[in-house]
Amino acid sequence: MEAERNGYQKQIKAIYQFISEHLYFNRPDIEVKGEHYNSTILFSILTGLKKGKELIIGEPGLGKTTSAEFVCSLIYQIPLGVIWSSEVSGHPEQTEEKIVGRPDLGKLNRGEEDVVWTNFTQLPAKIVDEINRLPETKQSMILDGVDRGNWEYLNEMIVNEEYSLFATANYQDGGTNTMIAPLVDRFDVMVESRYPGANLAFMVGKGERKDQLLRHPKSERDFFRLLKSKIHYEKKLPKMDEISNGFGEYVHGTLGVKPLRREDRDQIRAEMGDLLMDLDASAFTRMLLAEFSFCERYGQKRSVETCEEGCHYTGYFCHEIKNCASNRLPFSIRQYAQALAWLLQDPEVDIEHVKSVVPYALGHRVQWKEEVLARKERSKRDDPFPIFLAKDAVRAISQRYREQSDHLKDALAAGSRIFQGEELEPLEGDHPLYQEIKKDLEGRRR
Amino acid sequence: MKNLPHQNKDLADPPSRNPRPIRNPFEEFKVYSFVKTDIPLDRIVESTEVVMDEIRRGYEKLLEEEAKELVWMVQYNTIIKAYEVAERYVKEIRYSAEDIEDFCFALEDTQRIPYLIPGPAGLYISALSNYAQEAEIVLKLSELKTEINLLGFRLPKGKRLIIEGDTGDFTGIGVEGGELVVEGNAKNWTGAGMRSGKILVKKNIGLHTGEWMMGGEIHVEGRVRGLGNIVEGKVFERDKLVYPGKARYPSLYY
Repeated sequence: MEAERNGYQKQIKAIYQFISEHLYFNRPDIEVKGEHYNSTILFSILTGLKKGKELIIGEPGLGKTTSAEFVCSLIYQIPLGVIWSSEVSGHPEQTEEKIVGRPDLGKLNRGEEDVVWTNFTQLPAKIVDEINRLPETKQSMILDGVDRGNWEYLNEMIVNEEYSLFATANYQDGGTNTMIAPLVDRFDVMVESRYPGANLAFMVGKGERKDQLLRHPKSERDFFRLLKSKIHYEKKLPKMDEISNGFGEYVHGTLGVKPLRREDRDQIRAEMGDLLMDLDASAFTRMLLAEFSFCERYGQKRSVETCEEGCHYTGYFCHEIKNCASNRLPFSIRQYAQALAWLLQDPEVDIEHVKSVVPYALGHRVQWKEEVLARKERSKRDDPFPIFLAKDAVRAISQRYREQSDHLKDALAAGSRIFQGEELEPLEGDHPLYQEIKKDLEGRRR
Repeated sequence: MKNLPHQNKDLADPPSRNPRPIRNPFEEFKVYSFVKTDIPLDRIVESTEVVMDEIRRGYEKLLEEEAKELVWMVQYNTIIKAYEVAERYVKEIRYSAEDIEDFCFALEDTQRIPYLIPGPAGLYISALSNYAQEAEIVLKLSELKTEINLLGFRLPKGKRLIIEGDTGDFTGIGVEGGELVVEGNAKNWTGAGMRSGKILVKKNIGLHTGEWMMGGEIHVEGRVRGLGNIVEGKVFERDKLVYPGKARYPSLYY
């Protein structure tokens, strides 16, 4: 462990502690290097720190939205009232005008075109409640904003340099729609806000109005005034920071927990970005990506093509899935593994960080074949089915990695040398990754 | 990076003539001290393959000399001659008991050995067993689909050959003091012409058992289907002496 340099990790852990002790009661359900966390709070905090996108699933009333609200409030120093005002709720009648912005009617009467942006687009912490109640056609409306932070209305655009997205989704019921694959893929991680158990649930019912802890009427008024004002978005940002800092000081003074200022978040992100993956983490991630994208017969996985009978690679996950891993998957894994390594004050991202993060980055992205779902559906488990399947996959790939890590790293090292022009033969091995290495080298030789 | 000055010159070239180098996707493994790992299993497999090739070549030469038309008749002189040829090739090979077992399985793999003729194959395996360095040889043949004839031919004194599975005809003929254990069934003419030593069959045995045997003992833990014309020696059926004895007569099938 690296010596703590500026106390940010301690500050983040204090925020985690405060949320888990006062705001969101739940059991720890993830262990990383001997430290136990609740995955919903942990990944929400990492999402806020890493400017990520998180999908929170769960039964109604189990704290999906409130957990995101508390995290946003403390990571971005935004009073809860402002966060509520910026939330977009998913329902069939939702419109672009309520999500993104609307014409400035006063100016329109004068023949001028201007946009009044919603609080949702202007604030860095964005929450979409019940996203799967948005009809599929309307889900496309938020795709670009979700992905790049670009919000367009009429001929104007605002770009969020810093933003995180939290979306909640109920399990399928009469009022829900299927989430379109491109939107699902844009979420870095998916977690379940779970039932805390009878005893903790009893505590939830007993406690005081915890919402009030993060309310601050003055800051809220200042925020609303600023957000409604006609000044340019870029000019609003420093003013927002000023109000946020005031709210942060209030929270620190009254609750003893110190929210993060913008410069703190920037510094934390820079530190996270400096953490490199060690070779095992890199080789393991490559191995995993190979299994979720490889097809010997058709060149890569495609959801419109099915596996050949008697394929040599039947024992690997490429045979159990329908779709191909997107390029967003390795990005999400790297981002969250870096964040986790930073939080644990490790000098680099190792395989344990990657293995802890992967089930949450992979679960919502994989389309398993029906026979796999049927085979595993009744398995005894604690996790929701997609995360359970992803954890199962990580376990199997870890086992394969343990068996051949040295040879695999040799193969990658040999690949590097061949790539640089050395006369070597690529190493052989029985895993899709060896084939992928050969393909890369063939491409180079051509 | 060794040609840095050239690289600068290259950068000045038009992009179409000199495209930018593709990024090495294995860059981070450049630092990994790559040594081509010599896996012990690879060495074992490689040396086993070399030995197996030699054993296979010996068998093919035996077939070339003794079964030209791929037909081989079991006669006294053909057995003797074929065994002498087998002995000649086997003596030149260094092998172990495991290699004999591998050869038995290779016999059923037509891609490795095109012809399995049970007579010469059995004689060849017998020669391999008789000249093996190990005093005790175990051949696990229970998975074999073909019952091989003539196993244990001329098994010499001091050798113990254990066969897991069933054997074909002429098992243990001409045994010369060795001990042959068949853990399954043996077919007809078992122990024919044996001179000394012991044959133990854990299950049943076929007709003509011990035909012209000159000495030694045959123990059968199951049933003896029929005895041959025995000159000298002993045959036991479930620990009961059936030859010599009054109850059983040569060539009496029951």
